[in-house]
Amino acid sequence: MNAATDPFVLTGAHVIDSQQGIDRVADVHVAEGKIAFVGGREAAPGTKIIDVSGHYLSAGWVDIHVHAYGTLGFANPDTVGVYQGVTSFIDAGGPGIGVLDQFMELLGELETSLYAGAFIRPMGLLGLNFIEGNVRTLGEVPITKWLDFAQQHRDMLRYIKCNAIGDYGPGTLKLTKGLAEILGLPLYMHIGEFQMQNPEHLLAPEAFRIAEAGDMITHLYHGNRGQVIDNGGKVLPVVRDAERRGVIFDLGFGGYNFSWDVAEKAFAQDLVPHTISSDLQQFNVVRPVKSLANVMSAMIRLGMTVKDVVDRVTCAPAKAVHLEDRAGSLKPGLPADITVFRVDRGEHEISDCYTKVRRADQRIIPLITFKNGKRFDADLSMAQEESNWFLQFAEDHVPSAASHFSERQRNFLAALAAALSTMRWELASAERLDIDKALELQDTFHQVRARHGLALKDALRAVYGSFLDQSFTMQIGLLLLRLEQPFVIARLRDVSGQRPMAA
Amino acid sequence: MTEQPLTEKALTEKAWELLAGLDPVSTKYPARARLGGEGIVILRTKSGFRGVQRSCPHMQGTMMNAELTANDTMVRCPLHVFTFRLSDGKGVNCPGFRLKIYEVKEENGALYGRSVS
Repeated sequence: MNAATDPFVLTGAHVIDSQQGIDRVADVHVAEGKIAFVGGREAAPGTKIIDVSGHYLSAGWVDIHVHAYGTLGFANPDTVGVYQGVTSFIDAGGPGIGVLDQFMELLGELETSLYAGAFIRPMGLLGLNFIEGNVRTLGEVPITKWLDFAQQHRDMLRYIKCNAIGDYGPGTLKLTKGLAEILGLPLYMHIGEFQMQNPEHLLAPEAFRIAEAGDMITHLYHGNRGQVIDNGGKVLPVVRDAERRGVIFDLGFGGYNFSWDVAEKAFAQDLVPHTISSDLQQFNVVRPVKSLANVMSAMIRLGMTVKDVVDRVTCAPAKAVHLEDRAGSLKPGLPADITVFRVDRGEHEISDCYTKVRRADQRIIPLITFKNGKRFDADLSMAQEESNWFLQFAEDHVPSAASHFSERQRNFLAALAAALSTMRWELASAERLDIDKALELQDTFHQVRARHGLALKDALRAVYGSFLDQSFTMQIGLLLLRLEQPFVIARLRDVSGQRPMAA
Repeated sequence: MTEQPLTEKALTEKAWELLAGLDPVSTKYPARARLGGEGIVILRTKSGFRGVQRSCPHMQGTMMNAELTANDTMVRCPLHVFTFRLSDGKGVNCPGFRLKIYEVKEENGALYGRSVS
């Protein structure tokens, strides 16, 4: 890691850390990448002093619902992490058991701490909303593989996710609950039907019934079918029952999942999210989500205090996903994950995911993030850059990355082209996706890779670099299903025949 | 010799139709128009006019608010940045989604359109 070792002191900020009962101006001492002390102690001579007077300071923010990997992910997930005040985040469903190896290879070098909220489906989220709720896409639930992965990479897994959508009954929810119980992890359920789906029997009430203490339900204030309020605007009894049992309600703002109308009605009845998350992804970072800070500002507009929202992006999520030993507080000895922010006064507008806009007079702006003591100056514009979220295949040119492939990578690509040339597949569509074919293509990728003794990371980079200019990551099986077979073969043959650039 | 058989192109090529509800001189673009019975949106690109279906196939965002991008070769719905090629309507970042595209030409001060097959 890049832990800063030189000690420093952040002075003059209003520190909020509910874990320690701190809500006042205080100094924060950092040494060897960890929190050393919070209070008014004199700094040792020569210690670097960073004056952050007039600003707020909290533990680094924890966003338990982002999409960093896969069909919804970013070219550079740190743009919605340390560059937006977030020091830890969880990919909510990007990887499933069939691609967790790919997920780990590619995202292990981020500055922001990334964890998996693994999806029940082996391929993870498909990114095709119309078929996401089809029970046939669920595939197998290989318990042995899950147990083996959990044993080896326990730290990576934070919850098991499923979607409480579609017209197939609560079986998927119960299966996922069962897997979560086997693995000893919380269950995390999406509620709210995707656009233009109109099931006869809604699964959201089932989600509230199945969830137990410590399980989580996200998209609390969505405005689609399957809301937390009835037609008269009253919070459903089944939601109240879940709340009493200790089920955790997560905001999950997203591109479809936050309605001012629902939020205001539910909030007025004291139905409040326990955790505030963004659901940031390719399709909502430009609008309406923008950043976790924007979502926090929306919650202030709803009626929360600054302390309320800080708690819900620090200690509350850290507790919900069992990261209290490393995040969510400024207790001495914890990693120096710190966010410095200000609250701007002045009127601005905050949109929901539909057509409603509210005028707000407080806006949270992250300024500086420290991750293990390493400083990052916040820059909200980085996430918005088109190259960070616009996943476009390089159809008319070979990406420049291909000219840097090693001999082994090129040999692998040639063999992959040969293996794929005997296979046929149809392009994924909005209505249909051949999940078995995606898995078959992925198996072929792994078989060829194994034959060539190529490291998984090098093989993934070779395929991505053959088709993408930016460093997006995606399940290999799903990537290939997005491309015509003849184009794939031609491109792989083309790239594998290229000579590496002179050093 | 009898007459030549019609080529496939001639059989399938759609006829140009006058766009209803548009004055090419005073209209601001994007602009709503009608082609046959269908409501479409006319965009003015660097290489001329192009027509698209009136709402995004994803969540029916109005294409009146669409943004031209990639040197005017693509159009983007602002709701969820679903982006489509103006040549054939294929979804670029949204596999399986397709936008209906219409060729548009100006002749004698009037605009004519036809769908791209």
